[in-house]
Amino acid sequence: MKMAALCSEFGDLVQIKKQLISVISLCKERGLLHSAKWASELAFALDRLPKDELPPSPPFTEDDAQDLDALTLAKSYFDLKEYDRAAYFLKGCCSQKAYFLYMYSRYLSGEKKKDDETVDSLGPLEKGQVRNEALRELRVELSKKHIAGELDGFTLYLYGVVLRKLDLLKEAVEVFVEAIHSLPLHWGAWLELSNLVTNIEMLKSLSLPDCWIKDFFMAHMYTELQMIKEALQKYQNLIEAGFSKSTYIISQIAVAYHNIRDIDQALALFNELREQDPYRIDNMDTFSNLLYVKSMKPELSYLAHNLVEIDKYRVETCCVIGNYYSLRSQHEKAALYFQRALKLNPRCLGAWTLMGHEYMEMKNTSAAIQAYRHAIEVNKRDYRAWYGLGQTYEILKMPFYCLYYYRKAHQLRPNDSRMLVALGESYEKLSQQVEAKKCYWRAYSVGDVEKMALLKLAKLHEQLNESDDAAQCYMLYIQDIFSCGEQLEHAEVSTALRYLGQYYFKNKLYDEASLCAQRCCDYNDAREEGKALLRQISQVRDQIETPSADLFAPLSNNNTPVRRVSPLNLISFTP
Amino acid sequence: MASVHESLYFNPMMTNGVVHANVFGIKDWVTPYKISVLALLYDMTATKITLPERRRLNKLILPLQQGPDLTLGQFLKTVEECCPQAAYAVKLRLHEMADGELKDMEYFFSTLPTPFTAFDSEAYKTSVVGLFMRHMLLAYNKLSFSQVYKLYKSLQHYYHSHYAKPADGQAGLPALAADDSDMDLTSTEDTVGDRMDKEELDGPLHESELRNDNNPSRGPLSQKQAEYFLARQAYLLKNDENKALKPAALQEELNNMLKFNPDFAEAHYLNYLNSMRVQDIFLSAHSLLHYFDRLILSGNEGKSNGDEGYGRSLRYAALNLASLHCRFGHYQQADLALQEAIRIAQESNDHVCLQHCLVKLFPSSDPLTSCRCSSRMDGWFIMPQLIPPHLFYLASLGIQSLVQQGATQGKTAHKLMDALKDTDILHWKHSLSELIEISLAQTTSIWRMYGKSTMALQQAQLLLNMSSLEPVNFGVQQNNTEAFAVALCHLAELHAEQGGYKHRLGLLSLSEILLHLKEQFPPHSQHAKLWMLCDLKIQFERHMNEGKYHLAEPLVTAISALNKTEGLYRKAQVLKALNRSTEAYSILQRLQAHCEKTKCTEVVIRVMLSTAELHWESSGFSTALPLLLQALALARQHHLQSLASESILHLAFTQLMLGVPEQALSVLHEAIEPVLAHGSVMDKGRALLLTARCQMAVAGFRPNGHGRADLHLAVLAVDTLKEATAYFSKLSCKERLRDVHFLQAQLHHALGQTSQRNKSAMLFRLLDQELQSPAPPVSMRL
Repeated sequence: MKMAALCSEFGDLVQIKKQLISVISLCKERGLLHSAKWASELAFALDRLPKDELPPSPPFTEDDAQDLDALTLAKSYFDLKEYDRAAYFLKGCCSQKAYFLYMYSRYLSGEKKKDDETVDSLGPLEKGQVRNEALRELRVELSKKHIAGELDGFTLYLYGVVLRKLDLLKEAVEVFVEAIHSLPLHWGAWLELSNLVTNIEMLKSLSLPDCWIKDFFMAHMYTELQMIKEALQKYQNLIEAGFSKSTYIISQIAVAYHNIRDIDQALALFNELREQDPYRIDNMDTFSNLLYVKSMKPELSYLAHNLVEIDKYRVETCCVIGNYYSLRSQHEKAALYFQRALKLNPRCLGAWTLMGHEYMEMKNTSAAIQAYRHAIEVNKRDYRAWYGLGQTYEILKMPFYCLYYYRKAHQLRPNDSRMLVALGESYEKLSQQVEAKKCYWRAYSVGDVEKMALLKLAKLHEQLNESDDAAQCYMLYIQDIFSCGEQLEHAEVSTALRYLGQYYFKNKLYDEASLCAQRCCDYNDAREEGKALLRQISQVRDQIETPSADLFAPLSNNNTPVRRVSPLNLISFTP
Repeated sequence: MASVHESLYFNPMMTNGVVHANVFGIKDWVTPYKISVLALLYDMTATKITLPERRRLNKLILPLQQGPDLTLGQFLKTVEECCPQAAYAVKLRLHEMADGELKDMEYFFSTLPTPFTAFDSEAYKTSVVGLFMRHMLLAYNKLSFSQVYKLYKSLQHYYHSHYAKPADGQAGLPALAADDSDMDLTSTEDTVGDRMDKEELDGPLHESELRNDNNPSRGPLSQKQAEYFLARQAYLLKNDENKALKPAALQEELNNMLKFNPDFAEAHYLNYLNSMRVQDIFLSAHSLLHYFDRLILSGNEGKSNGDEGYGRSLRYAALNLASLHCRFGHYQQADLALQEAIRIAQESNDHVCLQHCLVKLFPSSDPLTSCRCSSRMDGWFIMPQLIPPHLFYLASLGIQSLVQQGATQGKTAHKLMDALKDTDILHWKHSLSELIEISLAQTTSIWRMYGKSTMALQQAQLLLNMSSLEPVNFGVQQNNTEAFAVALCHLAELHAEQGGYKHRLGLLSLSEILLHLKEQFPPHSQHAKLWMLCDLKIQFERHMNEGKYHLAEPLVTAISALNKTEGLYRKAQVLKALNRSTEAYSILQRLQAHCEKTKCTEVVIRVMLSTAELHWESSGFSTALPLLLQALALARQHHLQSLASESILHLAFTQLMLGVPEQALSVLHEAIEPVLAHGSVMDKGRALLLTARCQMAVAGFRPNGHGRADLHLAVLAVDTLKEATAYFSKLSCKERLRDVHFLQAQLHHALGQTSQRNKSAMLFRLLDQELQSPAPPVSMRL
């Protein structure tokens, strides 16, 4: 039932397939390779069409016929990256297709020259001055046509790109929306638009065409804006609607899981993705991040070798190798590979941050700071870079200074416990206990990843002689540790048990105290104390039993049963 | 798609993950300007120039080599002033290159005298000129083919852009003028776009962009130019904010600069300063941290703890952060940051930084901190001579802050002055103009506090007339420090006390001083609050004296915004004047308790006096006495002369009211001298009025005009009253004038001088009509 409803919502899958096939050919003709690739991937995921169902090729107009020779020639030049030559032969052509290719080659030629110029700049300040000289002329010509209403979907897209490159972002958004309305199936325009949308309000205010592709866009946007739950829901809907075989969607879901640190789910999806598409390189850097977090050395090594065989000069490959070396603690080599990734694409955000981490490992703080700063320059919303900067200053023993950076990171990821714990630690170092307590408690409330917040909170309470609160925190901590099931290396259950034992002993709750003391004996570092406590308890019990029982009654009344958590439920867990 | 275009991108500047601004490690780059300088040098060595001209040119060489890039017009003009012949030669040579071909430029470089061959010329390898030439040759030889081509292009542009505009040097070279039409075509390639823009897109959409493109100064600056710009603006911001660019304009410039070169860290620092001007804490904190993140990169030459290296910038980063928080009034945050800076400085043995840190502790207006450090400084207070030489700056500041503390806590005056004198010797010895200024301002404040207005006036004038010891850059003297603000405020208040509201001969009027303050310290700047409070206080006093209480009342709110204690005190005064005694009393009580806690002796005394006045109103003269005596004792203990004399006046008045005018008169004799010497016009008038009344009482006058009087004393009283009239009329204090005229009329009546009596009576009547409010019994106020 649900399936049917979704199908109707998405129209006929056959219809979608037809649309995709036609847009693929359109994009190909215009040299828009990435959009063509995206559409082809999606089309591949849908069922094959019978021969007679295949969409007819678009009508061949008089203009097209006229430009046919020039266009064919220019397209071949274009494909060989001889942009100026292509533009030269296209000059004066009147068909829409030729016009787009003409403008696009001019644009790309300008971009290419700009990049070549950077090498030959005449001084440090001139480096920043290098710009695509063609942009301004393109804008003038395109805007003229735009006002006259002569632009089709593709040229509108190009106009938008030009505007964006000229930093006229507001106009660019308008033009992209227009481009999308005129040609909804061109994924490149959607993607460009997504780069310009900065928040959810802006997203909601856009008027977008009601097309099945909009769902893909929304899902993409939700991922970008860190609204993972909504994104996953969207992708789930898309899968149910019949795109279950699409590698694009699988990879996107995997990335989304990665973003919310649901590592196992993400790993499973990536493995599935690699089975379906073994020569895929896109998104493999994310995959390697996951493997790194899980310390899965053999898998990471296999992935790295595999990718090198496919193409070693890809940003993703370099990142994977960097991660691989990092996991093997060969940080110099790791940094080298991240640098290589950055040489391939200096705007690759992940590599800057990862390189920062490597420099941190090498204790080269200044280089780390620079790397993080670059990452922030590329994307101001990169919380990992802000966090990394904070860590760097923390290592330099500047707890107050790093507060600013942690705060920034926290602002970007309000529900990430790591930033909160880091903030708390800094406050603790500055002896601002009240703030530190707030941070730790909040970290616990949002779901502590590293299970450290409660322990730290408890120790803080212990320092401040707030024994009730401390005991409660230790209690929660022990429950937390045992309920998560797996062994954590830094777990300090023994500390907690030791404190609890003493606490109950002081409050004359001997049963609970002895229980804690017994559990203490399970741990090497607390065994002696546990035994000592047990002895004390038995001593005290002997003393109590000899005098009359009325001494015991007021004592038990004195205790605050409200604050106390019964330790009995510990029995169900085994350490 | 974004990735399509950017995959082409390759950044060769990056080695080892670090983007070096400077690929070959060359500091100098060949620019068209440098080529012109080279041409000049070449011509100087090659041609014969007369001796005076050569001397002038020689003087020019260093600034030209080291200065920022000039436009061709500026350059030629400078050279022409020294030697027209050389300018012409340079112009000709540039013309040859720019209008010729690439080979002409290459030829020029190859003909340059190699510094290794020319032994006897100026271009010998170790000379300044030779060094520069070698630099340039090296830099030129390292250029790749396309870079050489680009250099040539920019040379052409440089040359032609000079002639594109009507230039002053054009007449000197008529042959070239003919070529201008050709040049236009070749040179203005990128302005073609502009023109099209203007024609096609006059729509409102792109106005901002167009404006940027059309403004010639918008263009990217060269490194030197940018540095010069930043240095200049930073200097102006520090010394005379009004001369610097407006915050918005400066911000735009900086954004422009950062757009072209994101690695230019200093721009971030200026950004920080600029944001501080407009009190934007978010942006300023962001820029500050960004700057130091950047700085840490540029200074990472291995040593992490030494004087150089990034350990140093870390300390200063923390220190700057502290000052930022301090500026925005986050004292706790500032304290934390400062502790951090101090800790790092201590760990790395950097006493200079440590000194800066501790210095920072002093002026922080947080009473807690300053208290703590002055106790730390106590040891040094005793023996300033023994301070190690590198710490004298710190020591002087410490002493100064201690003096401040000591002054408020009633240390003896000679001790304070001694300490100040000792530090002054130190300052003059080391020419620390900043500290000298502070010291002078402090002395002014102390004299004012003690009530010696003449001394205060003298010290303030001394500071304001002192020429700074600092070198004067950009035609601006540093005179926007706190010290200047304080001195000027004192000056304004002193003027106000003397009734100098209006312009008088030879003296600055009050309004002029305030206007100057407003200009020098714009309302958003750091020390603006000083003059704001001062201005408000003066206005308040003036309205109160003139009896316009309804005008004074709204000022109270403004004063409390700037200074709560002062505001409360003023509020009580207004309430008292409006006869709302109960409210006034409760406020005064609260204020007294608060001030006794914070040890604000001055305010405590003033509050006591006001309370005593409240007692008078309920005729509780005997209850006022102990209060007044207490106030007098306090004032004497703290050497606050003006307040002491004020207390004596109150005391005398009380005694007069209690019916012991002889006693009152003898007490008054003690106070009348300092009041006349140092007191404000108002005080003088009041003192004289009181004296006259005492004299009248002693002479045996009764308020109802009956009884026999001692005529000799009465004549004296007439004189005193006449003097008082002069003072009161200066302040146009009509209520008191009315009282005076009333008393005058009585006296004249008793003395039998009818015409004068009638005159006084008429004046009284006129004033009484004007004031409308029923005259309170003369007896009831001081």
